[in-house]
Amino acid sequence: MFEQLLIGFGTALDPQNLLFIFLGVLIGQVVGALPGLGPSAGMALLLPLTFGLEPVTAVMMLAGIMYGAQYGGTLTSVLINVPGEASGVMTAVDGNAMARKGRAGAALSISAIGSFIAGIGAVAAVAVLAPPLASFGLKFNAPEYFLLALLGILAMGSLGASPIKSLAAGLLGLMIALIGVDPLTGAPRLNFDSPVLVKGIDFIPVAIGVFGIAEVLASLERMDKVQPIRTRLRDMWLTAEDWTKCRFSILRGGVIGLFVGIMPGAGASIASLLAYLTERRFSSTPETFGKGAIDGVAAAEAANNAASHGATIPMLSLGIPGSASTAILLAALILHGIRPGPQLMAQESALVWGLIASMFIGNIILLILNLPLAPVFAALLRIPYVFLAPAILGISLVGAYAATLDMATVWMSLGFGVLGYLMMKFDIPRPPLVLALVLASLMEMSLRQALLLSFGDPMIFVQRPISAILLAAVCFALLLPFVSAFRRRRSMAGNRSGS
Amino acid sequence: MLRRSFTLGTLALCGALSTGLAFAQDMRAPEGPIEFTVGAGAGGSPDIIMRTFAQIMNESGLVANPIVVQNRSGAGHSNAYNHVLGLPGDENTLLTLASPVFTTPIVQGTPSVIDQITPIAVLVQSELLLFTTPDSAFNSLQDVVAAATAEPGRVRVAGGASGGNDHVLTGLLESTSGTTLTYIPHESGGAARATFLGGNVELHFATLSEGLEMIAAGTGKPLAIFSAERRTEEALANVATAREQGVDVVYTQFWGVGGPANLDPAVAAWWADKFEQAAQSDQFQAWLGENLYRSDMVTLAEAGAYFAREQQTFRDVLTRIGLAK
Repeated sequence: MFEQLLIGFGTALDPQNLLFIFLGVLIGQVVGALPGLGPSAGMALLLPLTFGLEPVTAVMMLAGIMYGAQYGGTLTSVLINVPGEASGVMTAVDGNAMARKGRAGAALSISAIGSFIAGIGAVAAVAVLAPPLASFGLKFNAPEYFLLALLGILAMGSLGASPIKSLAAGLLGLMIALIGVDPLTGAPRLNFDSPVLVKGIDFIPVAIGVFGIAEVLASLERMDKVQPIRTRLRDMWLTAEDWTKCRFSILRGGVIGLFVGIMPGAGASIASLLAYLTERRFSSTPETFGKGAIDGVAAAEAANNAASHGATIPMLSLGIPGSASTAILLAALILHGIRPGPQLMAQESALVWGLIASMFIGNIILLILNLPLAPVFAALLRIPYVFLAPAILGISLVGAYAATLDMATVWMSLGFGVLGYLMMKFDIPRPPLVLALVLASLMEMSLRQALLLSFGDPMIFVQRPISAILLAAVCFALLLPFVSAFRRRRSMAGNRSGS
Repeated sequence: MLRRSFTLGTLALCGALSTGLAFAQDMRAPEGPIEFTVGAGAGGSPDIIMRTFAQIMNESGLVANPIVVQNRSGAGHSNAYNHVLGLPGDENTLLTLASPVFTTPIVQGTPSVIDQITPIAVLVQSELLLFTTPDSAFNSLQDVVAAATAEPGRVRVAGGASGGNDHVLTGLLESTSGTTLTYIPHESGGAARATFLGGNVELHFATLSEGLEMIAAGTGKPLAIFSAERRTEEALANVATAREQGVDVVYTQFWGVGGPANLDPAVAAWWADKFEQAAQSDQFQAWLGENLYRSDMVTLAEAGAYFAREQQTFRDVLTRIGLAK
């Protein structure tokens, strides 16, 4: 295997391949940074251009776009609080809070480093453990996905100061997700016969609206008072303290991301949410989460990059795409006359190992690209807000249009901008709304699939071992607030009787 | 000498015939860039088929107009077909026809798309196999029928979207054999395969190329093929047709292409000709072989009749499953 990896590096380091890996990660960086244009859209756009290339070169470049976008997506999340992809929502929460304190450079740097370490770790896992990890991933199916999504939704209750407000925002997200089409039967529902609503409401107009546009709206009323964020050069860099704090966050986030990534149905957004919430449990300063916790940013970014690499495991060893991006990688293989499937690793070992080696190299290129540029990008925030606000609005609306090539998406984003503004006014956290919207279809689809699998018997959630463990976690998440409230009251009572 | 003049004569006759045909069917090339509208995401079968045609047409110089494959995915291909239906007479947009283009209007109770568009060609067919898990007690389609008769609804099928090819084939199986199966829809064929490979269900449909991979890797046991005849490949030669096993179902997945309503017949004929020529290229034939697809191409009015027949099959099955509105 080591020998094969060396041969893979030989292929990947070929000057032409190296050039295309570089191009791929560069394009990924750009499409990731543009809200509305995610990695899968970018890959689909460039797919026809790869026809003239060798299959291995084509796949290396397309994969570069896939993980490059995870680095690029951090930029808009941190700088202007507009996550370009669902997996960037958690990064935006703390990353943007850090930027407001003048620490955008540090947030971008730790994101790049976290993504890099987790990415390299995940590629190593792909190289060493792909087949066993793939069969482990298959143990997750509808019942497990449902509980995983439910766990995510419940945990959102802890994303803001008030659990009720957070859960209400999450509930609103679930309700918005119901509009459009029943994901299981394809029957139209709740569309009020409007041609716009028939397609349902996608993540992109909602995220662009409640984050990007709402932010600009809120700034209008205090335009004269908004000062450009002052950044001192030394705040740009990571301190030794930051690094000690984030070392294990990156490790934990990376492992969670990898495991969620290998499940063919979960995705990078659940990965970053779970990693973030886990990290808060482990953090020495959980109270800073949501207000600029660097370890939260590190964990979320490590997780989404690890998940994006992990998704290549079911693709390479089973021929099953784990995400929209890996589906396009598979398509590229088919278009180049390679039949994906369980025998891909044996029959096309040169291609598979070349791809794995290229992911090592691509991550190194991305780290080199992102680290020195972090302070440069962060310096953008020195631009006075009167100039920055129209730019944010412009990027947001262009992004909304680019996502669907339909003006309706633009109007929808503006509508959600107003909603986001109101949520800010009433101090209702916005991330649960967006995340619930993303998780809703997985949750609904997998619950109904699980009950079809069991012929309607709810015991399926208990009988399957992994499902039972997740159910226990769900119960724990539900009971924890009551238990801690009870203990707090007891200890208060104890103090009173003691004094 | 005699032989030579005969050949020349035949050539002359052929020439006269083909010019005659060209007169009968006026052809005119559209101007400017072309969009192949695809209702599936990048990577789906319709997408791959149209990209292959676009590549061959542009690279070989068969079509000088630059062709862009545009994925307008989502909502059961309705984003794509509504886009094309909104461009009557437009000469620069073609719609990719996959089963959702037929079934979505039936399920949603909206006007048929096939009745409105201008048929151009039936492009590619893909035969389908029925699989069970490797350690399953089922060894033939008859075993499945027996189990589903003994305990209606206890045999589960993991397939793609509701009302899609897998679902329609399940419905045909049920009605022909008089059984009831439990169909579990998934957001994509890949997701359904994950459910099957994870050992969560008994049955799963696969195309020939997916099927060969599963047979070689030992992850699935083939029970039947839904074609009129068996395949000749070594791995598939002993897979009996459903008909041989007493279940008279012949079902093939197909993809085609059509133009907007009121497309100039000359432009439609030009496209039909180009698709036929592209399909005859070595590159396309090699691609068909790699993917184990067939291309029994029919064009224009014949394609229209083909689409109408298939639409009727879809409508019948969906009505029986209770999905038609």
